[in-house]
Amino acid sequence: MSDIIEEMLEEEDTQKGMYMTFKSGREHFGISIKFVNEIIGIQNITAIPESEEYIKGLINLRGKIIPVIDVRLRFKQEPLEYNDRTCIIIIDVQSTVIGLIVEKIEEVVTIQDEDIEPPPKLVHGNAMNKYVWGLGKVGEAVKLLLDPDKLIKDEDLEFMEEAAEEAQAEENAEA
Amino acid sequence: MKILLAEDDFASRKFMSKLLGEYGECDVTVNGLEAVDAYLMALEDEDEDNYDLVILDVMMPMLDGYQVLDTIRKIEKERNLPAEQKARVIMTTALNQEINVKKAMEIGCDAYVGKPVNVEKFTILLERLGFVAKK
Amino acid sequence: MSQEFNTEGMLDIFLFESGQLLEKLDELVIEKKDAESFESDDINEIFRVMHTIKGSSGIMMFENITKVSHKLEDIFYYIRESKPDNIPHMELVGYVLDVSGFISGELDKIRDGEEPDGDESEIMENLEKFLKTIKHEIQKDEKKEMPPENVYVAPSQFYIPPVSTENSHFYKIHMTYRSDTMMSNIRAYSATYALKEVAEDLLFTPEDILTNEASADVILKDGFKMLLQAQCSKEEILEMIDGSEVEKIDIYECSAKEYQLGFESNDAVIDLTSTVEQIEEKAEKEKKEPKPGDYVIKSKEVGKAKKLAKNEVKPKQTFISINVEKMDQLMDLIGEIVIAEAVVAQNPDLKVPGLDLTNFTKATGQLMKITSDLQEVIMSMRMVPLNPTFQKMNRIVFDSARKLGKEIELVISGENTEVDKNIIENISDPLMHIIRNSVDHGIETKENRMAVGKDPKGVIKLTAKNEGGKVLIVVEDDGQGLNKEKILAKARKNGLINKDIEYSDKEIFQFITLPGFSTKEKVTELSGRGVGMDVVVKNLSNVGGTLEIDSVQGKGSTMTMKIPLTLAIITGIVLKIGSSTFVVETNAVKEFVRVSEGTIIENPTGDTAVRIRDEIMPLVNLGEKYKIEGYQVDPERDVMAVLEHEGKKVCVFISSLIGEQEIVVKPIPDYFKKVQGLSGCTQLGDGSVALILDVGGLI
Repeated sequence: MSDIIEEMLEEEDTQKGMYMTFKSGREHFGISIKFVNEIIGIQNITAIPESEEYIKGLINLRGKIIPVIDVRLRFKQEPLEYNDRTCIIIIDVQSTVIGLIVEKIEEVVTIQDEDIEPPPKLVHGNAMNKYVWGLGKVGEAVKLLLDPDKLIKDEDLEFMEEAAEEAQAEENAEA
Repeated sequence: MKILLAEDDFASRKFMSKLLGEYGECDVTVNGLEAVDAYLMALEDEDEDNYDLVILDVMMPMLDGYQVLDTIRKIEKERNLPAEQKARVIMTTALNQEINVKKAMEIGCDAYVGKPVNVEKFTILLERLGFVAKK
Repeated sequence: MSQEFNTEGMLDIFLFESGQLLEKLDELVIEKKDAESFESDDINEIFRVMHTIKGSSGIMMFENITKVSHKLEDIFYYIRESKPDNIPHMELVGYVLDVSGFISGELDKIRDGEEPDGDESEIMENLEKFLKTIKHEIQKDEKKEMPPENVYVAPSQFYIPPVSTENSHFYKIHMTYRSDTMMSNIRAYSATYALKEVAEDLLFTPEDILTNEASADVILKDGFKMLLQAQCSKEEILEMIDGSEVEKIDIYECSAKEYQLGFESNDAVIDLTSTVEQIEEKAEKEKKEPKPGDYVIKSKEVGKAKKLAKNEVKPKQTFISINVEKMDQLMDLIGEIVIAEAVVAQNPDLKVPGLDLTNFTKATGQLMKITSDLQEVIMSMRMVPLNPTFQKMNRIVFDSARKLGKEIELVISGENTEVDKNIIENISDPLMHIIRNSVDHGIETKENRMAVGKDPKGVIKLTAKNEGGKVLIVVEDDGQGLNKEKILAKARKNGLINKDIEYSDKEIFQFITLPGFSTKEKVTELSGRGVGMDVVVKNLSNVGGTLEIDSVQGKGSTMTMKIPLTLAIITGIVLKIGSSTFVVETNAVKEFVRVSEGTIIENPTGDTAVRIRDEIMPLVNLGEKYKIEGYQVDPERDVMAVLEHEGKKVCVFISSLIGEQEIVVKPIPDYFKKVQGLSGCTQLGDGSVALILDVGGLI
């Protein structure tokens, strides 16, 4: 799998529009392949206590210890049991290497910039929106394009702080 | 002026004898034992002048530089040679440790010159010791 | 450059000692610049310094240095002998600093391999004039006598340092000729002839190339080898010696030491069996004074390196310098080998029932022994004794104590303790800061000390020791100690802490490491270079270390730096708690006890403890604490592990023991929050990851 990606990566111009797509729940997502190192099958995961629910633990990838997160749990969906189709996408974002546990891998697609639309506005309760930076059209289907940086960082805290500040500001305005 | 050079390395021998040749007649020996022999011979032979200057390599076969220096000084003492008749002895060597230098000075060398020889300074040194190049 | 050779060369000693003397001189003079005049101690000191430099520079024929130092020595000689009044102090201070600066400059030139060609005439003029003034003062005063001339005794023995070898390179050259080459010996000769122009020294083998035709065969078989000392580059050499029949030329640049050992010196012997102390002892013993006869050459043939008679039987010991990056690579590889070894030895493929693994086990046992030895050697290669770092502290205590007029003695012990090279670089500054703190704020002035019945001389003890996989560096002073109340008040005032919580003494002392804290109103020149205790702690944490502070007001303070050894391969016991696998360092495990053998006690606070025989210790249910899936304590089958850390014990429920093995400690990736009780992770033989328990964190 990684060989194909490597070949594609060599073609500079086309790199921009290539995305690794996968399925999670009823949605289809895509991540720019410039962040993707490789795809591996599900492995033994060692749990680390006292971590967030979606952070499942560590895996051993050829000697490197890599944290892995469950994408469904990240999106606050019901977790699915892992089977042999479950894969881990190893991404490298700003020198942090993390594995994303995804339900089902799909193909690498090319999406031109003009086929990407901005995401719908932030809707409370929809956990997914924070991480999606665009909607990419591939034929009839729509892929939700993910920002890996937001995906792996613990943004909830910030989000709540912002919300609290907003609420405070509203209160003050009314007073 | 008579000079005695004791040096076992071919290249150094050529180099030094060429350099010293500018100052006087230079006799060359290839080990410590020969050097002591030459020195004694010159002393004992009435017709021969004693050596004014002796250049000794430290690392040599048979007797090393220290042994030759020691022997020369002992001979001089034994024969009550006046200061002007004592030979000036210069050690030449790649060894530059403080211990080596101090030891040589204790035994009584006049100078200790590290190899590779700094020709400029060596010339000044010879001047200081009272030797003048014949030009 | 001299560091590399470690030869205590005469010139290096001169440069070093003179440099030290001038430094001391500068300090002394600057300290007294605002005084009315120099005291007799100062005068003697300055005289001695100039006298020494005059002497040693004279021996080496560094004329300009000799001249100025002699002139200054002269001036102080007259001042010392006749103690004239009305000496223009500021002017004199200026001249001393001028001389010191001039000589320093010349020393720098010598160090760089340049000629000390500075012009001393201006300084000499000034000094002459000044000397005249002094002499005049003496003559004016009828009560004073003119002392006898300060006769200059010219040196009678000289030392000329060798021509600077900074630009000289040492090369080992190996030439191979084509097998059908005729008269290869003559060709080899022309190569040597070509090099003679640039060679400062040239040796070659076979040596009898001109006189013995058979040497041609030797050259065809083994090649022609040369040892060359020259200032030119590899490329230039290649150009000079390359020829039509030459098949290959290998040029390798080596160190002077390697070069001096001649053609036979291809292997560096690393002493594997002795400890550092033993090696040092041997080196000390070997550093005897040379006796006449030491340098008798056993055999010397033209073109061969000299063999000393006394060295005949000894194996050659030598040092080589290694790129630290390569050491790092080596370390990583050894870590990988340990893991790979485990994968082999514990391979699931072997779990065939009835398989006779006797020979296999023996073989893996042997493999493990070799790997273990390999680890030890590699570890030792990166380990460097703390000695030089500690010795630096001597100077610091000396200088700072003097500046403050305090009398302080530094007592060092454990300086042979070794730490990883990385660590030395990171603790040097923190250590310096802590020691300066002790000198500046810790130890009181002589008067204050005597007023409270202490010895006027303060003592700072600097100790290093190994403990449980960590290196401890302790700085203990008998000064005034830390004032708890003041610290607490200051921390509260600066809003650094929660006002309502009661803090323990240890915690209070730690406040001084908080950023934004300082109990000193004035940041002194010594300890306040913008380096606060918070920076000390940060530097320490860069190498995974911590700082512990303890103090008794009026008695003194103790700062303990704890740094883990970097090479993290430890022997650990692998165990399971529920479905999770953990590893505990073998040394931390005291014993395993059946649950039934201990009496479990529930405290009113909700904590659990257990009594085993007559000892009571806390009991931790890690499975519960870490929320291990589906974990339940099984009182019938489970076992309790009694773990110990720094004298304190704790008991932990475990489900089963897997075994003991060597593991490579790897850090838990930063992505995870720090978990109390876990200090890292490791890969087991079957590829799974186990977490490493930090007993200290569990207590």
